[in-house]
Amino acid sequence: MEAPKFERGTSLSIFVSDRREDFTALIFAFVIAFGVMLTVG
Amino acid sequence: MIYTRKSPALLIIGILMLIWGGLNNSGSIDGMQSYLQASAYKDHQKIKEKFDAEMRVAIELAASEHERVPDMQMPKSKFDEAKAKQAQLSFIFGASFVLIGLFSLWMKPAEGNLDYFTSVVPGIAYILLIAFIVRWGLDPIFGNWGKAVKDAGILSWDFAKIFNLNYVVLGIVIGMLIVNVFKIPAWAANGVRTARFFLKTGVILLGTLYSAAELAQLGGLSVVMIGIFVLGSVGVVLFMGKRMKIPNSMTAVLSAGMGVCGVSATVAASPVVQAKAEEIAYTIGTILIWGVGCMFLFPTVGHILGMGPVQFGAWAGTGILNSAQVAGAALAFDPNGIETLKVAEIFNITRVLFLPIIVLWLAAWYVKHEEGAQKVNLAQVVIAKFPVFVLGFIAMFALSSAGTFAPAGHYQGKYFSSKEVKEDKLLKGKETRVLDSELARLREPEGAQALSKYLAGAHVVSEGHNVTPEEVYQALGDLSANKKMVTRQQSEILKSVAKMEGLDGVASGSIEKASKAATHDSKTIKAYRDWIAWLFAFGLIGLGMQITGKALKQAGGAPLIIGGIVGTAKAVGSLIVVLMFVKEFI
Repeated sequence: MEAPKFERGTSLSIFVSDRREDFTALIFAFVIAFGVMLTVG
Repeated sequence: MIYTRKSPALLIIGILMLIWGGLNNSGSIDGMQSYLQASAYKDHQKIKEKFDAEMRVAIELAASEHERVPDMQMPKSKFDEAKAKQAQLSFIFGASFVLIGLFSLWMKPAEGNLDYFTSVVPGIAYILLIAFIVRWGLDPIFGNWGKAVKDAGILSWDFAKIFNLNYVVLGIVIGMLIVNVFKIPAWAANGVRTARFFLKTGVILLGTLYSAAELAQLGGLSVVMIGIFVLGSVGVVLFMGKRMKIPNSMTAVLSAGMGVCGVSATVAASPVVQAKAEEIAYTIGTILIWGVGCMFLFPTVGHILGMGPVQFGAWAGTGILNSAQVAGAALAFDPNGIETLKVAEIFNITRVLFLPIIVLWLAAWYVKHEEGAQKVNLAQVVIAKFPVFVLGFIAMFALSSAGTFAPAGHYQGKYFSSKEVKEDKLLKGKETRVLDSELARLREPEGAQALSKYLAGAHVVSEGHNVTPEEVYQALGDLSANKKMVTRQQSEILKSVAKMEGLDGVASGSIEKASKAATHDSKTIKAYRDWIAWLFAFGLIGLGMQITGKALKQAGGAPLIIGGIVGTAKAVGSLIVVLMFVKEFI
């Protein structure tokens, strides 16, 4: 199999930087946390 | 660059998920599910038997009174809920993938965000399909095999639990198998790169499971002892890693694994220090191999040295890294008693609660050492490079400690609340009368002497001090007067007293019943655990797909050497401390 090459992001991430990945994960986690609180809690 | 590959794979995965959802909904795979969801199915059978009995009574009553049989519906069991959840997830994701699959086949891709993000979806679907197979199939199958082998007497221990053959380890192994045997299909390659993002989201949510108040309740000795050994192990691994010139990410992830709590600490620390997939695999392998060895060795050493239940529990909880292996060693040492297991679990929980501190430490250490060669302003480097999601983990931990998600003082969602005990769970008149008579008996000289002897012999402790007979009298009196447990401390004390020989069986049963009634599960935390499990399963399968045989060879054997040295030092050091101090302090 040919090694995939990506012009955008890195071989480990679709995000352009670690910071961007971190912030997106942070937002996603808080959306889940408060979503669960509203629906289950 | 155009990322979208024209392939029907996403559409096919979506259809497969929809079929699975339909099969669950229709009940046509109930036979298979009853094997996979064995414990939930037992619950289902109990509810069904009860319902059938009530139905028979209702039919007989209606027949005798010449009336119509009332409409009755069987209450939902855990088995029904598990199937409904599988169906729901399969329908949601299946329908989404079918729609996006049709769209990607229809659209003419052009460079841009639409092409980029559409191309990510097939990879996500691919990993999610494997995650479904791992969590709903392989994980319970291995669980059943582990139990079956133990029940058949082939092994005296549950191999699935001891070797941690759950979705975490299975996910990595399946990912590794795919990349090394079958290769990742080109249409999935872009989406596989989302694994680390979902893993980070899972780590942030992990903060919801712990609470600082729980740490404060665990008693001084366990906190001090674990603190010294956790921080010491992390420090020694970091030092040795630097001396042996191992990559910083490998050293840091190994230090978390050897210091805190094995697999989950390794997973939590890995994105903090940008660990490579093979480094995570190496660390988990080292921890599991080391832990299995300890599990067999510790009980033998404990018996040779004539250790008591408290001493052995403290040693196992400090020296062994994996929760299941700690429980295994405690039960192997003392198969019939619960005291060893209880002490070991207290130490084990204390260790797990050090995770936030270690994550912060490693984040700062990694940032400093990656930039250490140059003379740079540390504050500036930390601001520029510190992984922001770690702050999310700490924020979740803080919110959890403040009682935002579950009452403060919970541990993984289980909390004590006397107020929330339901009316039908209060002790009955007969039970309180037996408790009163047992209280009177224990106050008499003979009973008081037996109680004092038991409390001293069983090392019954509460909040770091030996429990006195007066505390037991007070707790029993309060339980009888209120018909429920009043405080968590009293509940812990009485649960120990319930195991005292010669105590009335009804009294012991009442104590157990009242303790259980006052311990509650938080639905919110349960939902978070489920989310975390899915995010970790997804992330670890994706990470497994980045571990090639070549990469593993390159990682070398140094982690095993460091792991072995630090693990042995921790086991021997904690043994010496336990033998010297534990008896006197607890």
